[in-house]
Amino acid sequence: MDAIKAPNSVEGPHAQHGDLSVVRGAAPRANHVVEGPHAQHGDLSVVRGAAPRANHVVEGPHAQHGDPGVVRGAAPRARMSASLQALTSAALAIPGMAQAADIETDYLYSRYEEGDLPAADSASGRASERYSIDSHLFRVAGVVGAGNVAADLTVESMSGASPWWVQPGADGRPVQVMSGASIEEERVDLQLSYAQPVGVIDAVAKLGYSDEDDYQAANVGFEAQYTPPGAPYTLSAGIGYSDDRIEPTEGGSAQYPDRIRSADKNTWTSYAGASWILGPQTVVQGVFGYTRHDGYLTDPYKRAYFVASAGTVPESRPDGRQIWTLSGRLRHYLPALSAALHLDYRFFRDDWKIESHTLELAWQQRIGEAWLLSPSVRWYSQSQAFFYAPYYADFRDDGFASSDYRLSPFGAVSARLDLKRSIARHWTVGAGIEVYEASGDYAIRSVDVENPGLVDYTSLQLRVGYRFE
Amino acid sequence: MKRVAAVMAGAALCLLVGCSAQPVQPWQRGDLARPEMAFEPDPLVASYRRHVQFSKEAASGGTTLGGGGCGCN
Repeated sequence: MDAIKAPNSVEGPHAQHGDLSVVRGAAPRANHVVEGPHAQHGDLSVVRGAAPRANHVVEGPHAQHGDPGVVRGAAPRARMSASLQALTSAALAIPGMAQAADIETDYLYSRYEEGDLPAADSASGRASERYSIDSHLFRVAGVVGAGNVAADLTVESMSGASPWWVQPGADGRPVQVMSGASIEEERVDLQLSYAQPVGVIDAVAKLGYSDEDDYQAANVGFEAQYTPPGAPYTLSAGIGYSDDRIEPTEGGSAQYPDRIRSADKNTWTSYAGASWILGPQTVVQGVFGYTRHDGYLTDPYKRAYFVASAGTVPESRPDGRQIWTLSGRLRHYLPALSAALHLDYRFFRDDWKIESHTLELAWQQRIGEAWLLSPSVRWYSQSQAFFYAPYYADFRDDGFASSDYRLSPFGAVSARLDLKRSIARHWTVGAGIEVYEASGDYAIRSVDVENPGLVDYTSLQLRVGYRFE
Repeated sequence: MKRVAAVMAGAALCLLVGCSAQPVQPWQRGDLARPEMAFEPDPLVASYRRHVQFSKEAASGGTTLGGGGCGCN
């Protein structure tokens, strides 16, 4: 991959780390080490991978002075200030901070297990097992030409029972009926992305396909990011489309005659935002998002219970949904502690009348050069969809009905702990755990009747990464 | 009222982090360029957790496009 070790003469001591510097525009970057704001903002995650962007890092003071000679010719690095050089070496010494390697590979295994449905919430009067999922995520990222390519493959196998419908228990309190047979499913998802500077814009194109026995989805996306020269802010925007097909197991069969055979839906997703550097240790971001779903948005397996008929019918939701989100993120570095504080907030509202707040607080603690420890907590709250009820006295005029706990009013808290370690120059290993608990008590507004199907789960991650040079 | 609150919150944040007229120079951005200061330092784990949340909660999206749908939701 020598070919990409660009303009050799420009490079100082770091060239041997495998520089992938993308030199572009009129003012070539003095390859690596601290560059403008966009290096770390905006989630063009593709580019990012385990190691930061190819074209990262510096735009030293000389770039500022607009002295192209310094960058271009065989100008000696000696002209760089001593402090910048120190900074440069310090940044390069941080694991994962070295330039993007020729090829980076990552593997993550995750075991996800839902807590049992308690006997008290179960229509059968017995505790019931729920879902467990084994996920394998593979990621390969590398440089191709002037851009970065990344491929993400996810293979998941799911098994267990899931909530089917909710009915009144002996005391009128809702109880959950679970799907009878244990479900066994597999999902394979491949996402590809290509990131490349186009003029002054950092652009990313995405393409993906997800396949299950009963569900296929194809998606495309485009993201762009722009930092005006010398500006303390970066603008970013993205638009994506997903075309989904649902073919429920045993749809229209003798056993499930009222279950649909197949249906389609599509989704447009978009966002636009900006991030600002507020100080040498602080950066914030604000993003507005808009999403529109059209088509069959109902869960084909779930049913709703009506007291009037003392029976169930397939659930039914509107065939359109519009979503608006407003997100804010803050990153603040505390040099004395070698730690970064992350604060994320999202406000969500849709035309199903669901309103939601999500608050996330994370701490990224560097320990020595090799370890990164990050504890985080998340709080989530949502109100119910306008047509939701745990069960119904009688049919609604609009014909909608759903008792899905995901459309019910609830809150959730989760705690995570992640640990990563770099080993030598090529390896990264890590582990993580998350414990998640949903309850009416965690909702921002008090919940009168909690859905009995609310989920608690624990998930455990193990990972390994290797960098080929 | 909400607007006033937002402006006040912004101003408070500004004071907190020491906003000043002085722009942050490129050579002062070493800490900002640290990987743990990224908006998303760990895309692999983050995308996994987003997918789980997407399948268990009504709200999703925000700062990313996400991928395609799945039978999980």
